[in-house]
Amino acid sequence: MHVTNDIRYIGVDDHQIDLFEGLYPVPDGISYNSYVILDEKIAVMDAVDTHFGAAWLDSLRAVLDGRTPDYLIVHHMEPDHSASIALFMDAYPEAVIVASAKAFPMMKAFFGNEYAERRMIVKEGDVLSLGRHRLSFIAAPMVHWPEVIMTYDQLDQVLFSADGFGKFGALDTEDEWACEARRYYFGIVGKYGAQVQSVLKKTSALELRAICPLHGPVLKEEQLTEALRLYDLWSSYQPESKGVLIAHASVYGNTRAAAEELARLLEEKGEKVVLQDLNRCDIAEAVEDAFRYDRVVLAAATYNADVFPPMRQFITWLTERGYRNRTIGLIENGSWAPMAAKVMNGLLQSCKDITLLEPVVTVRSALNDESRQALAALAEALL
Amino acid sequence: MKYVCEVCGWVYDEEQGYPEAGIAPGTKFEDLPEDFECPLCGVGKDQFSEE
Repeated sequence: MHVTNDIRYIGVDDHQIDLFEGLYPVPDGISYNSYVILDEKIAVMDAVDTHFGAAWLDSLRAVLDGRTPDYLIVHHMEPDHSASIALFMDAYPEAVIVASAKAFPMMKAFFGNEYAERRMIVKEGDVLSLGRHRLSFIAAPMVHWPEVIMTYDQLDQVLFSADGFGKFGALDTEDEWACEARRYYFGIVGKYGAQVQSVLKKTSALELRAICPLHGPVLKEEQLTEALRLYDLWSSYQPESKGVLIAHASVYGNTRAAAEELARLLEEKGEKVVLQDLNRCDIAEAVEDAFRYDRVVLAAATYNADVFPPMRQFITWLTERGYRNRTIGLIENGSWAPMAAKVMNGLLQSCKDITLLEPVVTVRSALNDESRQALAALAEALL
Repeated sequence: MKYVCEVCGWVYDEEQGYPEAGIAPGTKFEDLPEDFECPLCGVGKDQFSEE
């Protein structure tokens, strides 16, 4: 596949994987992207996962048409991109690895080799000329690992963005970019909003015709503009849409019934509502909804004088990712000593710029007139 | 004074300095070079806060 006349795609689709990073379900698989820039010198951008090294080298050989690559530029050291480095370096003994200073100790730690005699260490602002293509390097620490660099091809105006702008889903599946890019962003990069903002500031000065991430499609034209808009929004922790996520963790179904009742009340008022059953859903879907919408209601049962574990886990996912700048309502359930709201409130204390709504709704075992009235008051407060 | 990297938790202690990077003991955080980076995760001075 041609990205531009000189830039070719040689990545692979993985449909075997069930959990990405051991955590994220990927029913449509994922792609490990790799690119080649053909010039007087040839640069290969990143390797692929260990299971696809041979297929990747076959694609590379087909593009090279008898030539040999000069550089392997390593933007990121997670093994889904770096595990085939050794295969490449053995196949092309003249090639040199180009990466940040922090990448090489990681190479040693993961794979036992840091290529001391075959490497070029680059930092922010360094330029590597392939002939007509001049590549400038952009440091992108903690987007989302410390060694990450991005590369800008000045001739074709293409940004190689490492895991930034990546998404779940193999390239042979058709879907809207934002949906799985959002789940990927908030799951994997979400904690590092300030670091993404630093990179966006640097790239805003560049003319961009394409962004080539390490997962998901190459972004061009309207899709590129939309991706930049969303990344700016996401990384500054601004809500993307008006709406209410109601995330519930119910033991017998009564907390769920309260969540559904609240959803009905809000929908009657014309609000967009999304319900997530934390006991069963992919938690990363609930997390992306929590960041996507401007309001969230957490509904949970009391359990062992604490909050029901799926809710505790959900709030941990949010606070780990710097959750902030949202309005939150709480619904608790407890049959003899309701504790869930107190615990949820405590867990949320580390979040900045959170508005906690009154009233906190307490359900005693099952909804009754009193708790229905409290739900109606919470619905009003959410409007 | 101590300053902590908000990203990874590494601590810059003015009393200790950071001799590994040529920063002498007693160097104030504000006197660290503008391009000073967290030695663990690489983010800049703007992402440190007082401990």
